[in-house]
Amino acid sequence: MKKRHLISDRILFVLPLWITVSFISIYPLISAFLTSLTDQQLVALAATKFVGANNYYAAFKDVRFLKSITNTVIFVLYAVSLEFLLGFMLALVLHRHFLRRIRGIARSLLFTPMFVTPVAVGLMFRYMLNVEYGIIPYLLRTLLGIRVDFFSPSYALFSIVLIDVWQWTPFMLLLLSAGLESLPQDCYEAAKVDGAGAFATFWYITIPLLRPIMLVAILIRMLDAFRVYEYIYTITRGGPGSATETIMYHIYQVGFRFFRMGEASSKAVVFAFVVLIFVIAIYRALRRYEEWV
Amino acid sequence: MGIKLIKILSYLCIAVAIITTLFPYLWIFTASIRPFGALIQPFVAFVPTFENWQAVLQRPGFSRSIVNSILVGSSVALISVGIGSPAAYSFSRFKTGGSLGRFVILTLQMIPPAVLVIPLFLMTTRLGLLHSLFGVIIAHLTFILPLIAWFLIGFFDQIPRELEEQAMVDGCTRFQAFMRIVLPLIAPGLAASVIFAFILSWNEFFYALILTGGPSKTLSVVLGEFWTFRGIELGQMSAAIIVTVLPVLFLSFFVQRHMVRGLARGAIK
Repeated sequence: MKKRHLISDRILFVLPLWITVSFISIYPLISAFLTSLTDQQLVALAATKFVGANNYYAAFKDVRFLKSITNTVIFVLYAVSLEFLLGFMLALVLHRHFLRRIRGIARSLLFTPMFVTPVAVGLMFRYMLNVEYGIIPYLLRTLLGIRVDFFSPSYALFSIVLIDVWQWTPFMLLLLSAGLESLPQDCYEAAKVDGAGAFATFWYITIPLLRPIMLVAILIRMLDAFRVYEYIYTITRGGPGSATETIMYHIYQVGFRFFRMGEASSKAVVFAFVVLIFVIAIYRALRRYEEWV
Repeated sequence: MGIKLIKILSYLCIAVAIITTLFPYLWIFTASIRPFGALIQPFVAFVPTFENWQAVLQRPGFSRSIVNSILVGSSVALISVGIGSPAAYSFSRFKTGGSLGRFVILTLQMIPPAVLVIPLFLMTTRLGLLHSLFGVIIAHLTFILPLIAWFLIGFFDQIPRELEEQAMVDGCTRFQAFMRIVLPLIAPGLAASVIFAFILSWNEFFYALILTGGPSKTLSVVLGEFWTFRGIELGQMSAAIIVTVLPVLFLSFFVQRHMVRGLARGAIK
């Protein structure tokens, strides 16, 4: 009798989740795909026509959209590699034995930026990096004699990268610290017995053992960075020109400034496919990581 | 000699990191108590003033937006944990849906908001609920609910099955065993989930910007209005930033420990 119940129980427990998710995510997902095959515009909903894959052809010829993809890719590559390098360096330093007393408090403080509201982060740095009254250009000018406008066409995207680095390096630190702590100690003892130096130990033991979690951290962060939006909205609005227009901001413009829902949906669906590839990679990396732990 | 140098460099490195992390908070806090003239000159003597704080708290719609964010955040947190915990229990105990089920859960939380926002916008418009809190609560659930379900799997995995099996031998149904035995045991995980969900909802901007308006604007949306082409309110903006950031920073100290588990665990087997 107990066995018979088991089958229905397991389903009953997940049923609320699947029902909710079908209404709030899966139905809208299908609906977005259908919209992407039309020329729907918010200002003329009744005049919507089916246009097949036309939006998709148009998207890949749209210079503005392609530029937003380039911007986003440049942003992601710079931001994630800087975050990884800084986060890894900090994790290694904090892992040192003589820092054990301050480790807890240092981490608690260093983790804080990733919890801060991104809109607030955008505004904080817009103020601090402002060329006229920001503290950072002021210090650069008076101490080093460097004059730089962080939001000028040539620097704006890189400034957005720096803001992202401030907020998300902690994420890398968090995952890599956890990874370092979970490394099996006996490998290090064996290496010591064999007379391996510090560099050899690092290169042949630490790096290979950490590789799975490095991969997880980098993939999750890349996926997240692809959606950068708040800093753009609060600081540059995609400008100057289209120097900082990212995919998310571009889709927002098309959908909610120009109200071209069909076009915006098709671009969002293209974006979703890129995301899906990353999710598959993350899922596989996670499974490998879990096996190893 | 070499060891000593390494120590000095390590301390230096950590000090620089901590200063870089904390400086923006301190700077914005001092900006919030600067009088108007001192806001545009980084180094100038000034007498601290509370006028920015007074102005922002009396600003029309500001306190309303705080209430909105609290309402949205707590609804999202409670619904997510209410629906997510039985589901996570089922994933953990029975491997329900197997590998595909977990993959779908992971995928759902990562769908780009740009895809879902247009259908959600049209849905809420049709229901006549645009510019109410309903739309933004639904929108936040689209990523927070699967994320919390995912996050909780790891907590259930740590509870030995024997406890609930014993309770079921003693005559409890599976559901009673879940409610009375299992849930109390993962109380810390549930608390962390509620806090985590609340923080994510509080910080969210994109959905809130599109789906709320007028009196239903959330705090993040209102915060975004302090510096636009229409005008700049540096002092009020700084005070508003502190109001927005302080609660989540405070709450984050309770969930930091659980973050790794939430991000990496839950994918087991």
